Amino acid sequence: MSSPLEGLRIVEMGQLIAIPAAMKMLADMGAQVIRLESCRRLESYRTDSLFQNDVTGDFWNRGANFYEQNRNKLGITLDLNHPTGLALLRELISVSDIFAENFTPRVIKNFQLEYDDLRQLNPDIIMVSSTGYGFDGPWANFGATGPATEGASGLAYSTGYKNGPPVMSEIPYTDYTGAEHTIFAIMTALMHRQATGIGQFVDVSQTETSTATIPEFLMDYTVNNRVISRNGNRDPNISPQGCYPCKGDDRWIVISIFNDEEWEALCKELNSPELTSDPRFSNVEGRFKYHDEINVLIAEVTTQWDNQELMEVLQTSGIPAGAVLDGQELLFNKHLQTRNFYEIVPHHPTTGMPPLPYASRPWKFSETPQITPKSAPIMGEHNKSVFVDLLGYKESALSKWESEGIIGYGPTTPVGVRRPSLEEQVRQGRLQRFEPDFINQVSKFHRVNE
Amino acid sequence: MGVKALSGVKVLDLTHYIAGPYCSKLLADFGADVIKIEQPGGDPTRNMAPFYHDEKHIENSLLFFYLNTSKQGITLDLKSSEGKGIFRELVMKSDVVIENFSPRVMPSLGLDFDSLKEIHPSLIMVSISNFGQTGPYRDYKATDIVEYALGGLMYIFGGYDREPLKHAYNQAQFKAGTNAASATLIALYHGRKTNQGQHIDLSIQESVASALRDVTSNFTYTGAVRRRQPNHSGDLTRLRAVSDGYILPNPGMSAGLDWNKVVEFLESPSLDDDKFRTGTARLENAEELGSILDKLFSSKTKTDMFYAAHQKRFIYGVIDSPAEVLANPQNQYRNRFVEMDHSLGGQITFPGAPFKMSSTPWDGLTPPPLLGQHNKSVLSEMLGYTEDRLKELISDGVI
Repeated sequence: MSSPLEGLRIVEMGQLIAIPAAMKMLADMGAQVIRLESCRRLESYRTDSLFQNDVTGDFWNRGANFYEQNRNKLGITLDLNHPTGLALLRELISVSDIFAENFTPRVIKNFQLEYDDLRQLNPDIIMVSSTGYGFDGPWANFGATGPATEGASGLAYSTGYKNGPPVMSEIPYTDYTGAEHTIFAIMTALMHRQATGIGQFVDVSQTETSTATIPEFLMDYTVNNRVISRNGNRDPNISPQGCYPCKGDDRWIVISIFNDEEWEALCKELNSPELTSDPRFSNVEGRFKYHDEINVLIAEVTTQWDNQELMEVLQTSGIPAGAVLDGQELLFNKHLQTRNFYEIVPHHPTTGMPPLPYASRPWKFSETPQITPKSAPIMGEHNKSVFVDLLGYKESALSKWESEGIIGYGPTTPVGVRRPSLEEQVRQGRLQRFEPDFINQVSKFHRVNE
Repeated sequence: MGVKALSGVKVLDLTHYIAGPYCSKLLADFGADVIKIEQPGGDPTRNMAPFYHDEKHIENSLLFFYLNTSKQGITLDLKSSEGKGIFRELVMKSDVVIENFSPRVMPSLGLDFDSLKEIHPSLIMVSISNFGQTGPYRDYKATDIVEYALGGLMYIFGGYDREPLKHAYNQAQFKAGTNAASATLIALYHGRKTNQGQHIDLSIQESVASALRDVTSNFTYTGAVRRRQPNHSGDLTRLRAVSDGYILPNPGMSAGLDWNKVVEFLESPSLDDDKFRTGTARLENAEELGSILDKLFSSKTKTDMFYAAHQKRFIYGVIDSPAEVLANPQNQYRNRFVEMDHSLGGQITFPGAPFKMSSTPWDGLTPPPLLGQHNKSVLSEMLGYTEDRLKELISDGVI
C-alpha cells in the first residue's frame, strides 16, 4: 500500500521554520518535496547548533535546526539571480503540484514568482505563501520573527506573570502555528483540486493564524469590553492551577483541578490537613478566591517530592498533573518511547554523524505505511536526481552550471556560529546543565528502540 | 467565487471541549457538512467563560460560539441502544468520524474503529486524546497546562529564576485541533483515490512535542539541556517598555550586527562609544548599556518606532492589546475580523478566516447550533424518521 500523499510533488522555497516545518510533515506522509537552497545566501539554520559544536569542515551539513525541519526532502541548490537558475526553478514548478515559499512578497515579486506568473507555467498549480503579516496590505513587506508575530497577534499581550510584562516563548512558537495551519490550508486546496481540477493561491499570515487560536482575547473585549490581565499559569475556568516546586534543582510539577472530585482526591494524596479542613477551600468559588493561600499550601508538600513520582501518584488517583519535562527527560520519556514518537534517522555518511532520534508527528495512521525516514539533504545532494533524472538534463550541464555558480555543493562564504563552551553557557544561565556522555545515552536509547 | 473548498465532505463530529471542536470548525468553515453530536447535557464548553455580556448560560459561551460555527447540532445519548443505532445510521452516511473522548470510551460503547469499519469500510476515524490511544499515560488526565509540562514547551518558557510558564488560553488544544484537521484531510485525500479507510490516533502531548525546534536536538547534538533564558538588561533583542506599551527590538542580528546603524537608528550619541561597539564590549558593559537603552526606549512611542525600524528593514515587533489588534491597519486592510448575529441578540465580532484562498470562499458561516437545534431536521431529512418516531425518541431521552 502507498503512503497517503505518494505521487504529489512540492517545490519548496522555504527558510527557517514556517514553510519548512509544514513541508516536512507532508514529506513524512509521502509527498516528494524538493527543497531549494542558495549557496550565496546560506540558510542560518545550517550554521547554528552544530553537531558537537564543531565548526570545521562541511559544518553546514551538521546543523540541528536544519535537520529538524527538513527530513525526507530532496535538496537542490540554485542561484535565482542568474537567469538560468530562475529558469530551472520555473521548469520545476511547471511539473509540480505545489509551490510553497516563505519570503516577503517583495522578493517573490522581484523574481516574478507570484501566483499569476506561475499559473502561466502550470494552470492547476497550488501556490502557498507564508508571511509574518500577510501577502497584501500595508505591512505585507515587513519581515517578522516568531516573537514579533506572537506580539502582533495578541498572544504575547495575554501571557506573563501577574503584574509583569508580556512574556513570549523562547522558540519561534507562532512559526509553528503558521506551519500547522499551512498543512491544513494545502490539504484544503488539494481536496478542492482533487474534486474540480482547479488550483489556487493560499495566503497564510503567521500573525493571523495565531489570532485564530485565541478567540477569547478579542471576543471578551468586543462583547464585554474586558481587557485580559496577565495572570501567570492561572485559568479563568480552573482553580487551583499552577506550577509548583519539587525536590531537586529547577524541578517542577503542574497541577490543574477542574472539579470537587479532583480537589478531594488532591487533598487526600497530598495528605495536607490545612488543605482538607479549611472550609474556605471546599467549593469552586472559594478555591478561586483563595488561590494564593492554596498555592502556598500545595507548594509546601510538592517540595518534598520528586516531580515524576508525584505525577504518577496523583494521576493514579485521577488528578490532572504533569512533571515539567526538560529536553533530556522529554527525549527519554517512557510514554513517548512506547509510542515510538522519536524516530531514528540516519545521516549522510560524509557528515560523520550517527543516526539520531528526532520528534516525529502528532498523528499515527492505522493503515497506510510510514515511510522509512531519511535525513534532511546535505547541500546539493539531489542536484543530479532532480535536474538529470527528473528534468532530463545531461550530466555535463551540471558541471557547466556548477562552474558558473548556478548550482553548488556548499556555501560560497562559509561562516559557522561557534557557541561559547557548554561550561560557559551553564555559567551564563543559558543551559540548565550538559551531560558529557550524551552520545552514549543517545545510542543506548537508539538500541532500546531497535 | 464558487463553492467552498471542502463542500461534499461529510463529517460526524462527536467532539467536545476545544481540540476536537476546533478541528471540525476548520473543516466546517471551509465547507464540510459537519453534524455535531452532543450528549444530552451538552458540550461542557457551553459552560466555559467568557460569556456573552457575562451572563452564564449554555447558549452564551463565546468560546463555544467561536468553536462551533457552521455546524449542525443534534443531541444523542450514545449509551442507549437506540442512540447507538442512530449513530451507526449516521456513520453510514459520513466520510469522517471525529471524536475526542478518553481512549476507553469508544470501545466501551462498542463504537471503536474496528466495529465501525465493519459497517463502513472506507471510513476515516480521527481520535484526538491527551496522550494518544496507547502507552503508559493513555489514561492520564490533562488540561492545557499539563500538556505544556509533559510536551516540553513549559520548561523553557518564562523567567530564568521564576516558575515555568505557559501561554494564556488553550494553545495546546488549538494546536492539536489544527493537526487533527490536517490529518483528516490527508487520510481523506488518499481515501478518495483508494477507498482506503483508516483510524488516526492524534495526541495533544505530541502536538506540543513535535513543534519545539531544537529542544531535544540540543541534547542529541551536544548534550546540552536548555533552561529558561536569563534576560540581561543589555540584550539588544530584549522586550523593552516604550511610553505606550512594549516593543520587541531586532537590530538585524542575523546578517551580522552593524553597531553604527544601531546608533544612527536610535539617535543616541551616548551609544557611539567603543565600550558598546563589539559584542564582547557590550557584554562587559551590559548594565550601563541596559540603562541607556531603557531610558531611550521609554521616551519612544510604539507604532512610530515600529514603522521607522521597518523603513531600515530592522524586523521590530509590537505587542498589541485587544483594541490595538482590532484597529491594526493590516488587520483592517485584510478584513481579519467578521461579525455575526448572536442567537440571543446583538452582534459578535470574532477572528475570521485563518488564511486566504484565491478561488474558494470562506465566508457565509452559520451560527453555532443551539443545543439540539437540528435534531428534527437531521433525523427526518437524513434518516427519514417520522414525526411520531421523533416524539418517542424525545420522550425516551435518546435525543
